[in-house]
Amino acid sequence: MPKKTMTLNLTEAEMAVLEELCEKKDLSKTVLLRQALRLYQQVDERLSRGDTLFFEDQSKREKAEIMML
Amino acid sequence: MTLEITKDWRRKLILEEDGYDISAGLTSADPIFDGDIIVDDHGDDGLLALGKFINLMRRKRGLSIPDLAEQADIDVGELLSIEKETAHVPEPRTVYMLAQVFGVSDRKLMGLSGLMQPKDETYVEDAVRFAAKSESIEKLSALEQEALNGFITVLSENAKK
Amino acid sequence: MTATQPSEIRAIELYDNAGKDFVEAQRWHGVVDKNLADWEAEWMPELQRRLKLLNQQNVERRFWPQSRHWDWRAKLKDIEKRLANQSFALVCNGMTQAMMTVDTTKRARLEGQQTQHLVYVDYLEAAPWNRGDIAGDPPRYRGCGTELILAAVELSITEGFKGRVGLHSLPQANRFYANRCGMTDLGQDKTYENLRYFEITLEQAQVFIGKGKGA
Repeated sequence: MPKKTMTLNLTEAEMAVLEELCEKKDLSKTVLLRQALRLYQQVDERLSRGDTLFFEDQSKREKAEIMML
Repeated sequence: MTLEITKDWRRKLILEEDGYDISAGLTSADPIFDGDIIVDDHGDDGLLALGKFINLMRRKRGLSIPDLAEQADIDVGELLSIEKETAHVPEPRTVYMLAQVFGVSDRKLMGLSGLMQPKDETYVEDAVRFAAKSESIEKLSALEQEALNGFITVLSENAKK
Repeated sequence: MTATQPSEIRAIELYDNAGKDFVEAQRWHGVVDKNLADWEAEWMPELQRRLKLLNQQNVERRFWPQSRHWDWRAKLKDIEKRLANQSFALVCNGMTQAMMTVDTTKRARLEGQQTQHLVYVDYLEAAPWNRGDIAGDPPRYRGCGTELILAAVELSITEGFKGRVGLHSLPQANRFYANRCGMTDLGQDKTYENLRYFEITLEQAQVFIGKGKGA
């Protein structure tokens, strides 16, 4: 598939998080950002439909709503 | 990116796909089989008993392998594998059609062939016992007849648990 | 609008069971309009014809193809704009022989790779005439499952997921994924209609593609 290139400017803190996540998920920076975009699109689609996004802790039976604007 | 898989290896994988269904994904049109479907294709006693049972039933009816295959509308090769190869896991449809032809419980035959996890495993043990009892003799001997009767009893739908 | 052109076409082979030889085929990255037209005009009538045979032979419904109600047009419409999903089609002799859609945002479940990303096979199905489990003629082309799982493994490697692939198998296909693809069977999944969940690890993928131990 043809691909386009962009330069991304990140703060040091952002870059540190990106690197940490890459390390943890064993992914390259490009792959991780691509995953992030896919997930963001998915979440946005559900929210636009009127769905609500929750994180649930099954052991504590707690639900926390994630606010996405 | 393309994977460097050799043409020979690809062909080998493709040839080995023979006879397998490949569907994956939600959702299943019907409720799944009542029992737990197991996927192990290693030969076991149940498969051996299944092969023996089919062999005895076929001979009792005086049917050749092609005759029975035609009557049950199943593949000759598959039938041959069931009777001769103890490690051959048959297709669910084949087992079902054979159960219909011989008038025994298809669920129990499935259990025997490992296609379904039997709820009550005692009949599998019984069937294996009868299989072991029936040493092959040219024609159906009295001993085999006895083993076959035992088979039929334990594999009938109404058999006592 | 479904795309009219796949993003990539790759030459592959399938085995012609009748001609007893390998034949040229193509793997399309992206299910397109033509594939959906084939599904509607060729797969569906053939499936109906075979279902009729099964019914006439008094075969119980639990032995009928479990994917018989799948609507590929609807499935493709659902994912057409989603970055997370991709699709593949196998084409041979001018006809669509099998299709697959995948999700790239799902996580692995197998211990040792838990929560790592993988390519999850949402749907995979062969044309009715390539299936051995439905009444009628013997399967026409062999290798559709192999080629599509190879495509999933390949995509997983390209995506940086190291060959990890996961899927829920329909009951009649459990044997293929366990025995032929060498995937790990994680058992029945209560959250997915009790379908069995299978996952392939990096090591298993290596074996499957002929690069690892046992190859």
